[in-house]
Amino acid sequence: MKLSLLFLAVGFLLVLLQTTALHLLPLGPIVPDLMLVLCVYWGLNHPTVAAVLGSFILGYSVDVFSSPLLGLNAFATSLVFLAVYLSSRCIWIHDSLLSAAVVFAASLIKGLALLTASSLFLTADGLWRGLIHYMLLDALAAAALAPVLFFLLRRGQRYMEAPEMPL
Amino acid sequence: MILLEAQFEPPMLAFLRKNQVLLSSFLCVFLSLTILAAAAKGHLKSDPIGPLLVTLMRPLQIGVQAMVFWIGDIGEVSARLVRLAGENQQLRQHLQELEAERNRLLEVEATNRRLREILDFRSQLPSESLTAGVIGNSASTWFRSLTLDKGSNEGVSKGMAVVSPAGVVGQVVAVTAHGAKVLLLTDPHSGVDVINQRSRARGIVAGSLDEGPIVKYVKRSEDIQTGDRLITSGLEGVFPKGLLVGTVTKTRKKSFGLFQYVGVELAADPSRIEEVLLVAPAATPLKEKNLS
Repeated sequence: MKLSLLFLAVGFLLVLLQTTALHLLPLGPIVPDLMLVLCVYWGLNHPTVAAVLGSFILGYSVDVFSSPLLGLNAFATSLVFLAVYLSSRCIWIHDSLLSAAVVFAASLIKGLALLTASSLFLTADGLWRGLIHYMLLDALAAAALAPVLFFLLRRGQRYMEAPEMPL
Repeated sequence: MILLEAQFEPPMLAFLRKNQVLLSSFLCVFLSLTILAAAAKGHLKSDPIGPLLVTLMRPLQIGVQAMVFWIGDIGEVSARLVRLAGENQQLRQHLQELEAERNRLLEVEATNRRLREILDFRSQLPSESLTAGVIGNSASTWFRSLTLDKGSNEGVSKGMAVVSPAGVVGQVVAVTAHGAKVLLLTDPHSGVDVINQRSRARGIVAGSLDEGPIVKYVKRSEDIQTGDRLITSGLEGVFPKGLLVGTVTKTRKKSFGLFQYVGVELAADPSRIEEVLLVAPAATPLKEKNLS
């Protein structure tokens, strides 16, 4: 329960950061997708129903704040969680660089999911111009920050899961 | 009892429990697609979660955004300061370069003006005149001389008159292959025959160590006044007639003696001369223009 509350707080914090402070980074239009990193972390290290719902809510919150259509990011993050969860059954990731690689791949999956959903429900004409460029930059930015966020999340998770010492 | 219940859990429930994450993931994907389709078709009339989320996040976003703007302002101001410092440095450097260039151009302009004056002046002199630059001054307190950058190889000869557009400067007293020494009018050993342009009174302008240039041998009866212009008479055969030598600054008649004292301010200040004209000894008078 405590861990779920922690993840909920982290999720809120990341939404807050992504809608405000991360725009300060000198990356031009690229905003590092820390929520995606959190989804990947959940998919790899904390695959529970709560994490599934968390991923959905994170995507949905992005939709609420910045998407032209509700459900676009919810679909993409849910799909990313699913993909990471399925892959986590086959691979065991404990290295920071590998986590960055998984986040990079997850970001590409998310980009493709957004593109597909946009093509189906909206018009994707405007997305094609510079698509690969932005997709790669977005993935790189998320992957670059992934090791740090993974480290912090692991520390938090360990702290919360540590058994209380008897008095 | 509980153990028994777990052991005899219906297979369907066991399957759901085992694959709850996978199933809930698929469910979420399906749910999001449903929302997406409904939103795209405009069937999604009300969004129950969105407004709540926005309400929850609004105060936090306002606070963080204010902080972000504040940090952004600080960053921008810092960046601007750094940029301005760099720009200031560049401008200073540019200003120094421009100042140096300006000084150079002013010097070129001044030189050009002087040379033009000399050329104009030269056209009024006999054709045997030469132009020379001053490359040195007197090395002794007791003598007043200049060193020129032209000598016998360039046609300079001893005895040539040295003049400038301002007036008479002196006379060449020694010549080497590529240099010449000029005895200035301010030297006590020099002398040039002059005429008062107004009264036509005659005398010899010579230097002196203590009082500056004076006019020697001016009779007491001669009419000399302060401000009178003195020009070369051309009689000694060195300086062309009509060159301005200087202006009378002081006259004094003692109660005794044949001559009166006349102080002169030379027209050509030797300390500021950079180029001169050398005129071969001749009695050719100057053209009328210069006489004025």
